[in-house]
Amino acid sequence: MVPCTFLLLPFFAISATAMDGGPELRTLPQGVAYCQELAGRLAPLPGAAREPARSLAAEGSALCRDGHVRTGVAKLRRALRAAQGR
Amino acid sequence: MPPLAMHRRSRQHPGPLWRLLSSAGFRFALLFATLFLLAGLAFTGVLWWGTAGALDRQIDAAIRADAVALAERWRDAGDAAVSDAIGERLALDAEDQTVYLLTAPDGQRLAGNLEQLPDGFRPDVQWYGIALERDGISGEARLFVLRLSDGSSLAVGRDIGEKVRLRALLTEGLAWSAGVAIFFAFAGAWLLRRALEARLAPAAATAALIAGGDLSPRVPLSGHEDEFDRLGQSMNTMLDRIAHLMEGVRGVSDAIAHDLRTPIARARSRLEEALDAADDPAALKGALERGIADLDNVTRVFQAVLRIAEVEAGARRAAFAPLDLVPLLVDAADLYGATAEEKGQALHTAWPATLPLTGDRDLLLQAVANLLDNAVKFTPPGGAISLEASWQEDAVLVRVSDEGPGLSQEDRSRVGERFFRADMARATPGSGLGLSLVRAVVQLHGGTLWFEDGQPDEGGDRPGLAVCLRLPAA
Repeated sequence: MVPCTFLLLPFFAISATAMDGGPELRTLPQGVAYCQELAGRLAPLPGAAREPARSLAAEGSALCRDGHVRTGVAKLRRALRAAQGR
Repeated sequence: MPPLAMHRRSRQHPGPLWRLLSSAGFRFALLFATLFLLAGLAFTGVLWWGTAGALDRQIDAAIRADAVALAERWRDAGDAAVSDAIGERLALDAEDQTVYLLTAPDGQRLAGNLEQLPDGFRPDVQWYGIALERDGISGEARLFVLRLSDGSSLAVGRDIGEKVRLRALLTEGLAWSAGVAIFFAFAGAWLLRRALEARLAPAAATAALIAGGDLSPRVPLSGHEDEFDRLGQSMNTMLDRIAHLMEGVRGVSDAIAHDLRTPIARARSRLEEALDAADDPAALKGALERGIADLDNVTRVFQAVLRIAEVEAGARRAAFAPLDLVPLLVDAADLYGATAEEKGQALHTAWPATLPLTGDRDLLLQAVANLLDNAVKFTPPGGAISLEASWQEDAVLVRVSDEGPGLSQEDRSRVGERFFRADMARATPGSGLGLSLVRAVVQLHGGTLWFEDGQPDEGGDRPGLAVCLRLPAA
């Protein structure tokens, strides 16, 4: 049936949207050193000792030490934002 | 099978799909569906511009503002200050959405989290859409690259994963909507075709019956008084008219057979008489002359019938010209005044100085002559006939009245049919074609003909008849 063919249009459309963005670039891998750099940025801030920055920073550093660098970096960044009052 | 043969075959034996596609109702519905889809596309364009497009513009504006701020900082304080600023921005990017890169003129990476500039980087191109792998996770990003005055490069970018997801969501929704709309368009077209077919079926069935030779069926009307009922009414009116004409033709044929039988039989008997009187040259000549006169009468009837047909066909309309009716009336009155005088009748005339009109002079003269001929024929000796004409608004009114036996109301509606003769006129010579020609001439001129009671005679036993013609001036 002709109308059934038209019902397949959405699938064609969805597959058409999954386009490729060309050659891939990469970001630098985040390591424990970057965790330490973030912790170093946090330490002198006045709000670093207050919650929730303090506990976020502690969690982030612990995650980095345990090898969960990506999650640890995210926690430390949230601690920095909290410490700056953002 | 060749395509042409397939096409011919499909027309001879239409399948459901062919019947659907060739239906007018389907095409109408498809037209409306197309318009509906175009409107939907316009709506989609606006929606896209307002959502995915707005997000695009918003992201680009944020990237450009960030890059410009960093470039200004670079001009004020150099590479180190920009490196610090980039570090600060990255440190606060809890969602891990941003991308930065500062390179020295020699291409050495100075700051940022991006490994390198895009492969196809060109100084004159600032915007790039890139595939970005972040800690092993692939995504898409938008990158803005600024060439600084010393040849350094500053790249600022954002992940556009959210935008891509929104775009996919919109596309999916719109594609589903389009699919469903198209489905309903086809379903609607199919329903419309069926509805049209159902409404037209009675008309088609009636037409088929009539094509089969039966003129009596009529298109049944639904009572909705819609376009189909109007079409059915028009068809029924047309069929009534055709049936009336057919009946007329049949009547004319019967009348011709009936009315011509007498003069032809008479001519035959004259010829037989001539055979018997073959020895007497004078009697033979007399019989032949009477036979010829009878046959001339037959010929005159045929000529009259042909002339009426010619007038009714409208072929004489091309000969229409401006004319004055007064000289024409004078001619007719002169001609029939003498005849009336011979019969002891008085012809009274009255008309203005001029009566301008557009028409065929010969036909109008013939019509007036036929009316006067009838009046003279039916008015008894000593009676009066009047021929009057006057100007009435934008038309000429001609009135011929007599003191004859008149016409009953029933006969008045039938006068004008070929060969029709009222009962009281049977004893009077005539073919029954005179008023038919008058009616045809009046119709050709766009006028009307009607009858009124004429001038009764002194005894009051003859009501008289007035024949009135109204002829528009142009």
